[in-house]
Amino acid sequence: MTWSRRRAALAPLVALAVLAAAPLVLGDYATAMLSRILAFALLAASLDLLVGVTGLPSLGHGAYFGAGAYAAGWVATHVARSAPVTLVAAAGVAALVALVAGSVAVRARGVFFLMLTLAVGEIVEQLAQSWHGVTGGSDGMYGIPATRLAGVALTDVRWFAWYALGVFAAGIAVLRCIAVSPLGATLRGIRDNEARMRALGYRTYHYKLAAFVIAGGIAGAAGSLLAAQQRLVTPGDLGLATSVPVLLAVIIGGEATLWGPCVGAAIVVVLRDVLGPSLGGHGPLLLGVVFVAVVFALPGGLAHVRSLWRGAAR
Amino acid sequence: MSHARITRRRLLGAMGAAGAIAVLPGCKKTGDQAGGGGRIKIGLVVPQSGVYATVGNEMKHAWELWLERHGGVLGKREVTTVVADEGESPQTGVPAVQKLLQGDQVDAIVGIISSAIALGAKDMVAEAKKLMIVANAGAGAITGAAKNPYIWRTSFTNAQVASVMGKHLAGKADVGPVYVIAPDYAAGGEVIRGFKSTFEAGGGKIAGEAKPAFGKTQDYQPFLTGIQSSGAKATFCFFAGAEAIAFVKQYAQFGLASTIPLYGSGFLTEGSAVLAAQGDAALGIQTTLHYSPELDNPANKEFVAAWKAKYNDTPAVYAVQMWDAASVLNRALGTATALDGDSLSKAMSSVGTIDDSPRGAWSFDGQSPKQKMYLRKVEKRDTGTVNAVVADLGDTAPVA
Amino acid sequence: MPAWPAWIDVHFISLLNGLAIGALLFILAVGLSLIFGMMDVLNLAHGVLFLGGAYTAWWIAGESPSWPRFLAALAVAGAAGALAGTGLSLLVARLARRSHLDQALLTLGLTLIAADALSAAFGDDVHTINPPPGLDDSVSLLGRAYPVYRLALIGLGAVLATAVHFVVERTSLGALIRATVADRHMVASVGVDERRVKLGVFAVGALLATTAGVLGAPVYGARPGLDATALMLALVVVVIGGLGSVRGALIGALVIGEIESLGRAVLSDLASFVLFGALAVVLVLRPRGLFGASTGARS
Repeated sequence: MTWSRRRAALAPLVALAVLAAAPLVLGDYATAMLSRILAFALLAASLDLLVGVTGLPSLGHGAYFGAGAYAAGWVATHVARSAPVTLVAAAGVAALVALVAGSVAVRARGVFFLMLTLAVGEIVEQLAQSWHGVTGGSDGMYGIPATRLAGVALTDVRWFAWYALGVFAAGIAVLRCIAVSPLGATLRGIRDNEARMRALGYRTYHYKLAAFVIAGGIAGAAGSLLAAQQRLVTPGDLGLATSVPVLLAVIIGGEATLWGPCVGAAIVVVLRDVLGPSLGGHGPLLLGVVFVAVVFALPGGLAHVRSLWRGAAR
Repeated sequence: MSHARITRRRLLGAMGAAGAIAVLPGCKKTGDQAGGGGRIKIGLVVPQSGVYATVGNEMKHAWELWLERHGGVLGKREVTTVVADEGESPQTGVPAVQKLLQGDQVDAIVGIISSAIALGAKDMVAEAKKLMIVANAGAGAITGAAKNPYIWRTSFTNAQVASVMGKHLAGKADVGPVYVIAPDYAAGGEVIRGFKSTFEAGGGKIAGEAKPAFGKTQDYQPFLTGIQSSGAKATFCFFAGAEAIAFVKQYAQFGLASTIPLYGSGFLTEGSAVLAAQGDAALGIQTTLHYSPELDNPANKEFVAAWKAKYNDTPAVYAVQMWDAASVLNRALGTATALDGDSLSKAMSSVGTIDDSPRGAWSFDGQSPKQKMYLRKVEKRDTGTVNAVVADLGDTAPVA
Repeated sequence: MPAWPAWIDVHFISLLNGLAIGALLFILAVGLSLIFGMMDVLNLAHGVLFLGGAYTAWWIAGESPSWPRFLAALAVAGAAGALAGTGLSLLVARLARRSHLDQALLTLGLTLIAADALSAAFGDDVHTINPPPGLDDSVSLLGRAYPVYRLALIGLGAVLATAVHFVVERTSLGALIRATVADRHMVASVGVDERRVKLGVFAVGALLATTAGVLGAPVYGARPGLDATALMLALVVVVIGGLGSVRGALIGALVIGEIESLGRAVLSDLASFVLFGALAVVLVLRPRGLFGASTGARS
């Protein structure tokens, strides 16, 4: 085995090991932040399947994240607190919402698709606000009981972080499998030249819808992590307040590389939630500056920094 | 893309993730940061951004004023205050409480304006076994259906304030059918329920009901038209802050002020900034609340004078609630044996009557105040408009 | 006095209010429509321009403005808007070789920065502004009171719509605008400096947005979050009315204005669903909108 192949296999394991060891050295608050970052990173990676791999820029991805979060919260409160149950429920509900929304949305392209996903996101957020009985209205769903895994309640910050890491790793694995599979190749083909793919005989609508539903389902799984960590879901988790930062995370991190959006997600969460309060609430300003800088100077995001260096050196 | 490039990127990713995590604060584990032996660390949760920023600022000022006038000590312990921004919604508020509990390791939490945030954070506070004194949030469930021994409140319940007006209006012979309107969120719903329960029990008729979207409605014309066409002879409403300003002004602009008298839960006209912005549109509005700066008792006279001297403004109910929170905590710390939630909660249950409060004497009924409610009417004075105290409507227990 | 049908009597004020809101939305949205129609750039910063105008009104005119101060606020907001539009146009032009999506995302990033800067500068409170003297009273119409200022908005909207219509349909500048919307590359090949036209349209569009902010301040005030509301409404207007069409912007604005007033009076919460549902339906069935140009090279 060549050294580069060995590195290809080892790199994700090294990353996983570092993340798994982190809760052992970090304090309570930092570990809780880590869980938030993992949930957001999974969301960003799922959006990358749409934006980077399939070329469908969505400004309403928060809707599926929130739908999954609400579903997980509802199931945990009324049905069962078991982690696998809430996870599957969340992914299932989110995939269903994505199916309905996607069947309409993927008919459009480019900026029109962007606006359509925006409209869908607003509709879903309004639904969360109005449907008091299920979602708790504008106050949100509070008092979600702690998730249980194998009979143990995950109230300890560290155990929860490991659970979140497990879900995150599984989700990334699924996305990676799709990205390197023939399905992924088809999606990239659609991204690069949809007309040619259609000419080759591919039913591009179905492929785009499939990507939309898969991305939505995984976003829902990420949402279940949010519901379990925060024990609270609000309509803000569905709307632009989530959809915009996650799109920023994908762009900043680098499209079409699954780990780039994860790094982007970490940056966004750190800037907004961790440094934000110390900056007098002006986290969004810094986020905007970073984003504009990336759009201008680093097309393709942080993930492509190396290729820029290499390109410059040549 | 070559396989090698992907590999290097993955390494970059792992390093990036590790680096990002290393940047996170709080890398120390639970050190001895909690107040011990003569010191106490209090986490102050108030809005410092968003639409409630002015109210949050007033509450912070009240806390600072109390500490200034009492030597910076609570129950003979020197106080360190850590302020966290509650923001506008649970999305910012709950993480703020989490940061105080886990990051700053405070001994107790005081503040919280929004009921949604109080409800979202209470489980976290109970699990951490720390005391939380809610200084504004009015949801009945906080000290009612969803209560736990660590959450105490020095403010009010939404239904408590509204039910008093319901009883008062039911007793007025000529009031006619009343239209009820409040924003569409939990507090609004509780106010409407509280009002209707006493109003209809006293024989009153409801002409109609509306719930404009909370925080999103700026143009109330559709609702004002609805009030006019419902045949109502009076309106009872609940709005606070910016929504109160917009509603009261538009109520006058669309001609309802002179034809359909407006009654409200006290927050409608509470706060010098709110009254100033409403101007003459607010004249004649009657509200019920557990405080008015015009109250004529010695504690209040002293309080208002001290506030004016330091902040060049008139205090509102929010300041008094926070002032009393400090006062109550001071009493509790005088008898508490330790600083954990269980000891403090036990001490809180034996504080007795708070007889030096600017709102008049009050005591805890359960974990929320039982207090006097006043009928106020907006009148014009030389300095501007004020909430003049028209009547004392008696002691009212907290209503869930 | 004829016996009005009861329905009109009850909803007359709502209908009228819908015209006032529609007038405001037209002033806000026509710029967005032209920018999108001419350059395929979705200017997501349009909402924050509106908010900037609203804050300018509060800052310069104060809570109870006199006429000179109100007019000064209009002038300053207009100038600031034109400046901002020029700046936006230049920044977006730097990404001319990238996709339209990247340009839209750029405006999104700039919106984040601008919105937070406005919060930092003007605080997080909600500010209210009274109409200037003479317009701050209410007049009695069919037995109901209605604020005079909103009637003035209807009048102003009508005047502006006529003016914009005249410029676009009857002047050579308007011909240039219509030609660029229809086929931008052809216009470039005819020898017109595309960049000047784009700069001009962006500047005027932004100027109209900030002006709408000032005019809307006595109705909506100035508060954080208003930019998102304004952007969403403007987007709905532009999509439904048609990209690049002034007539479309007017019709779309009036329709949305009525949904927001009459719709909310009759349907309350459902009005929001109607609004975004209409947006979705139009985007799927007729992305060009009701009056959008049916020809035109699109990249």
